[in-house]
Amino acid sequence: MLRTTLAGLRLHKSRYVTTVLAILLGVMFVSGTLVFADTLKASYEKSVMGSATSVDAIAVPEAEEGVDEDGFALEPVPFDDATLDDIRALPQISEADGLVRGEAVLLDAEGRAFGFVPPAAVAFGETTRFSASEGELPDAADEIALATSTADQTGFGVGDTVTVLDPEQEKREFTVTGLVNFGVDGSYSFGGAVVFAPDTIQEMTGATGYSEINVRAAEGTSAEESATAVATVTGTEVLTGAAFGEEMAESAGAQTEMLRVALLLFGVIAMFVAGIVIYNTFAILIAQRQRELALLRCVGAKRGQVFRSVLGESFVVGLVASALGVLAGVGVGALGARFGGQLVNSDVTAAVVVSPTAVIVGLLVGTLMTVFSALVPAARATRVAPLAALRTSATASGLEKGTGWVRVAFGLLAFGASAALVVLSRSMSPDPNGLFVVTGAALIAFVGVVVLGPLLVRGIVRVVGVPLRRLGVPSMLAVDNSTRSPRRAATAMIALTVGATLITGYSVISSSFETTLTEQLDEQFPVDYQISAQYAPEGPNAAAPEEGVEEGVAEEGDLSEASLEDGAPEEGAPENGAVEETAVEDAAVDEESGDPLVPSEVQEKLAASPLLDRVMSERSTYLEDDLATGGMALPVTAYYDAEVGTDIKGETVEGDLADLESGTVVLSETYAEGVGVGDTFTVPAPSGDLDLEVAAIVADGATLWGAIIAPEDFTAAFPEITESRYLHLRAADGADAAEVREAVYTAVDDYPMVQVMSVAEMKNQFSEMMDIAFYTIAAMLGLAIIIAVFGISNTMALSVLERTRESALLRALGLAKGQLRRMLSVEAVLLCLIGAGIGIALGVLFGWAAGAAVLPGLVFSIPSVQIAVFIAVAVLAGLLAAVLPARRAAGTSITGALASE
Amino acid sequence: MTESAVKPTSPVQAPPVVVARGLTKIYDTGGSQVHALAGVDVEFHRGAFTAIMGPSGSGKSTLMHCLAGLDVPTSGTVHLGRTQITGMRDGDLTLLRRDRIGFIFQSFNLLPMLTAEQNILLPSQIAKRKVDQARFDHIIDVVGLRDRLDHLPTKLSGGQQQRVAVARALLNAPEVVYADEPTGNLDSRSGAEVLAFLRDSAKDLNQTIVMVTHDPVAASYADRVVFLRDGSLVDEVHAPTAEVVSERLLKLEA
Repeated sequence: MLRTTLAGLRLHKSRYVTTVLAILLGVMFVSGTLVFADTLKASYEKSVMGSATSVDAIAVPEAEEGVDEDGFALEPVPFDDATLDDIRALPQISEADGLVRGEAVLLDAEGRAFGFVPPAAVAFGETTRFSASEGELPDAADEIALATSTADQTGFGVGDTVTVLDPEQEKREFTVTGLVNFGVDGSYSFGGAVVFAPDTIQEMTGATGYSEINVRAAEGTSAEESATAVATVTGTEVLTGAAFGEEMAESAGAQTEMLRVALLLFGVIAMFVAGIVIYNTFAILIAQRQRELALLRCVGAKRGQVFRSVLGESFVVGLVASALGVLAGVGVGALGARFGGQLVNSDVTAAVVVSPTAVIVGLLVGTLMTVFSALVPAARATRVAPLAALRTSATASGLEKGTGWVRVAFGLLAFGASAALVVLSRSMSPDPNGLFVVTGAALIAFVGVVVLGPLLVRGIVRVVGVPLRRLGVPSMLAVDNSTRSPRRAATAMIALTVGATLITGYSVISSSFETTLTEQLDEQFPVDYQISAQYAPEGPNAAAPEEGVEEGVAEEGDLSEASLEDGAPEEGAPENGAVEETAVEDAAVDEESGDPLVPSEVQEKLAASPLLDRVMSERSTYLEDDLATGGMALPVTAYYDAEVGTDIKGETVEGDLADLESGTVVLSETYAEGVGVGDTFTVPAPSGDLDLEVAAIVADGATLWGAIIAPEDFTAAFPEITESRYLHLRAADGADAAEVREAVYTAVDDYPMVQVMSVAEMKNQFSEMMDIAFYTIAAMLGLAIIIAVFGISNTMALSVLERTRESALLRALGLAKGQLRRMLSVEAVLLCLIGAGIGIALGVLFGWAAGAAVLPGLVFSIPSVQIAVFIAVAVLAGLLAAVLPARRAAGTSITGALASE
Repeated sequence: MTESAVKPTSPVQAPPVVVARGLTKIYDTGGSQVHALAGVDVEFHRGAFTAIMGPSGSGKSTLMHCLAGLDVPTSGTVHLGRTQITGMRDGDLTLLRRDRIGFIFQSFNLLPMLTAEQNILLPSQIAKRKVDQARFDHIIDVVGLRDRLDHLPTKLSGGQQQRVAVARALLNAPEVVYADEPTGNLDSRSGAEVLAFLRDSAKDLNQTIVMVTHDPVAASYADRVVFLRDGSLVDEVHAPTAEVVSERLLKLEA
C-alpha cells in the first residue's frame, strides 16, 4: 500500500507544488521567527555578558526602603569617594573605579534640547564594564562619546562637534570621539546618554558620588571573593560581573520574548491559512481521483488502507515541505537578524543561532498541520464505492452537494450570535474585556462565513455576475464556472478572507484612532503650537509646598545666565528678581511636582507677536493631601487668556462649561465623586481652603482634567505660581504658516530647553507612527495573503485539469487562446474579490467594534484609500493566481484533450 | 476495388467545399515513426453527407482533425472553399473554426454549466454574431428541443444532448459540419433520430456534413462512404446500405 501511495505521489507531484509552497511559507515564517529571536537574544546576551564580565565585581548603591513625602520610592544615594577609597584599599582588589552619573542637556542639530528629558551624562574610570563600540572613550576636556542610540537619533557621528549646556546654561562644544553601546539598560536607552571624560563630568553636571563601582580582583582572588570583600565595605549586595551580566541578559531576554511571541502570532495566522489551502487541495485531489481510489477498493484495498494511504501521502508532502520550510526559515531568520536588528535597536553581533527547537517546531507544525488538514478529505476518500471505478465520468458530481438547511440555519445562528455579542460590547463600558467580546464575535462570524461560504459565493456571483456577463463570452463563462463547485470556491476564497479581515480590521482601527485624536485636538482645544519645557536635569525637587517658594529666576534676564545648580542657592543663582530662593532651577520649575515651566519671558515675547492671535497659558499644580479624592493628588488647573467652553471644550456630563467663573469649579468625572452641579467642592489650597461651587462635570479622558478653576481664583490661591506649564498658541487668521513658525521659534531661541510642539507636526508624527505600525503589520499579514493566493492558484490549476476536455471543446468551437486565458483570469479575480470583499466587510465591522470597545468616543473612519488598495491587490492576486493555470489550459492541444477520456 | 482518388462520377454534382491533397501525418513516438495519414486526397461536395470509415487506428479521426484545422498535417494541403487552411496561424484557425465550421463530438459536447439554449447559442456569442431567429426556431422544432431549452445538460438524455450539439453545429449554417462518432454513446433509437436529422439537414438545408464512424448502420445514412486503412483512402461506396458497408469493412479488416 505504501508503495502505491509513493508511486501516486511521484505521478502527481506537479499537483502538489503550490501546496508545498503554502506549507513551506508558513513553516518558513515560524522557523525564521525562532531563529531570528534566538539570534537576537544570543546577541544581547553576548554584548551584555561581554561587557559585564570584563570586570570582576559590580557594586550598585541600594535605595533605602520607603517613600519620600511625595510618595515616590527613595532614590539610591550614590557611593562617596571614601567608599571608593576603602574598596581600593581592600587586599582582594587590584583596581576599582566609579561611574559618575548626572544629566546634561544635549542640543540637536537645530540647536534645540534633545529629547523630552535630558540624556544621562556619565563618566567612568579606567576600570569599567563599558567600552567604545566605535572610536574611543573621551579623554580630554573637550571630548565626548555618545550612546549609539543617541547618535542614531540625533544623526551625530564620530568626529562631529556637538553642543552641551553646562549647569550655567552656557553652551559648550565637544568633539565626538566615540560611540558606546549601552544595550538595553532602560536608564540609558530611555533618554539617551552622553559620556564625558572623568575630569569633565563634575563640571558639566554637578554630579558627585558614584552610582556604580566596577572592580577588578587582585591576582589570585576569585571574582566571588572580590565581590564579597567589596560588599563588606558598601554594605550592599555586590554581584560578580558574570552574575550582573546574567541579570541584564535576563531582562533583555524578556524583551526578545515579546518580539518572538508577536511574530509567532503572525506565524500561526499564516499556518492557519496554509491549513485551509492544504485541506482544499486534498479535497479536490480526492474528488479527482475517485476512480483511482475505487479501483484500489475493487482490487481489494480496505477502507482503512485507503484512509492510511491518503494520510500517508499528506505526511510525505507535509514532511518534505516542512523540511524545505525550515531551511528557508533559517535563511530568513539569519537575514532578519542581519538587517532587522536595527529595527529593534540592537546590533546583532552573535552568529546565527539555529536551536533544535526551531527545527523541530518547524517540522512538527508543518507536518502535523498537513496531516490534520488532510483528515477530512481522507475520511471522504474511504466513502468512495468500488463501483465508482466503472463509471465513465472522471469527476465525481456526487461530492458537491447543495447547501442543506441545517447548514443555513447554523450559519445564520452564528451571524446572529456574533451580532448579539457586538451589541453587548457596545453596551459595556469601554475596557479590555470589551475587546475579548468583540474578538469572540469576530471568530463566531467567521465560522458563519465558513459554514455559509458556498451560499455566499453563489449569491454574490449571481449579483456581480449580471454586469460581468455583458462583458463577453469569456466573462460569462467565468461567472458560470465560478459557481460550479461553490464549496471548493468558498474554501479557496476563505483563505484570503482571513488575511483581508485582519488587515482591514487593523487599518480601520488605526485610521479611526488617528481621526479620533485629530478631531479631539481640533475640537476640544484647537491650537497651532504648544510650548512646554524639557524636564529639568535634576528631576523632582523635594521642596515642600509649605516653604512657599517663589520662582527663583526667569522673570528678568537671559536664562542662560541662570543657574542650573540646585541645592546650592548661594552660588550661581542670579540675584536679580530672586525673592527668596531655595532651589533655583534653570528656567522655572513647579516646586510641588518638579515639572518644568515655561519662562514668562517667552510668554511675553509671544504675546507681543502680531502673528499670533491667542497665547493661552495653562497653569496648574497638584494638591496632595486631598481627602475628598481618597488621597489621590488633585490637579488644579487654570487657563489664562482663554475661554473654557469656547477655546477648550470637553464632553460635559452635567452643567455648562461656560458657567466657569470666579467662585466656581469644573471637575472631571474621576474627581467629582459624590458631588454634582451646584454642590460645593473644596480645593485645599495651602493658603487656605477654597470653597467653590461646581459649575460643570466633564467626562474623563479629554483635555480638561482634575479641577479647573478661574484664573483669578488660581492667582489668589497660588500666588507663587506665576508661570505656565504649557502655552497654547493660536495663529492669527491669514497669518503665513512659515512666518508664524519663525516667530514662535524666535521667541524661544534663547531657551534651548523650551520645547515647541507644532500641532500640525504632532499630527504628522502621529500618523507617521500609525503608518509605520500599519505597514509592519500589513507586511506580516502579507504572508498569509500570499499563501491564500497560492491556494486560489492551486484550486484554479486543479479545476483546469478537470476541465481539460471542456477547454478543448471551447477551443474547437472557436474560443481563442486569449479568450480562454481571460476566462480563467476573470474566474480567479472574481474568487479573490469575493474573498477580499467578505474580509473587508468583516474587517470594517469588527475593526469598528474593537476600536469602540477600547476607546470611548471613537470617531469611526473608513480608510478608503487603503481599502481601495486592498481591492486592487485582490484583483492583482487573482490575475497572478490565474497565470499558470491559464497558460496550461491555453497550451493544451485540442485533439489530444478531445481524445483523452 | 481500390479507387485511390474520388472520381467525378459522384451523384452530387456540386463544387467541392473541402479539398484535401496529399495529406500525411507522421507521429514520432520514441524513435519509431507512425504514419497516421499516408497521402490522402479527398473532396467533399456541397450538400453531401459523407461518412469516413475504417478500422481502429486507420487514421479516420486524424483525417477529420486535419480537415477541420484542429490538427496540423505533416505535409499536404486542405482547402475550405477558396481558403487554404494548412499553414494558417492558430489565431486564424480559431476564427475559421468559429465562423465556418461546425462540430459534433462523440461525448462531452456540451458545457455542463450552460443550458441547452445557451449551448446552442455559444458559438454565435463567441463570434458576437446575430442569430437568425427564423433558422433557430426551425432547427429547434426539427430536433424537437423546444420544451428542453432551459434545461442543463445533466437533465437531458444522451439523445437529447446530441441533438443539442447538432442544433448548435447547424445554427450558423457553417460551410461544413464535422461529426466525430456522433452516435457512439447513444442507444440505437436515439442514434437513428440523430442520424436521420443529419441526413435531412444535408438534403433540406444543403448542408455539407462529414462524419467519422465505425458503425455500418450509421454510415448507411450517408450519401457516400469513404474507407481508410493504414492512413490511406482505399475504397468508396455511393448510396450505401448497412450490409454493403459491413461487407467492405470486413474485407478491410481481414
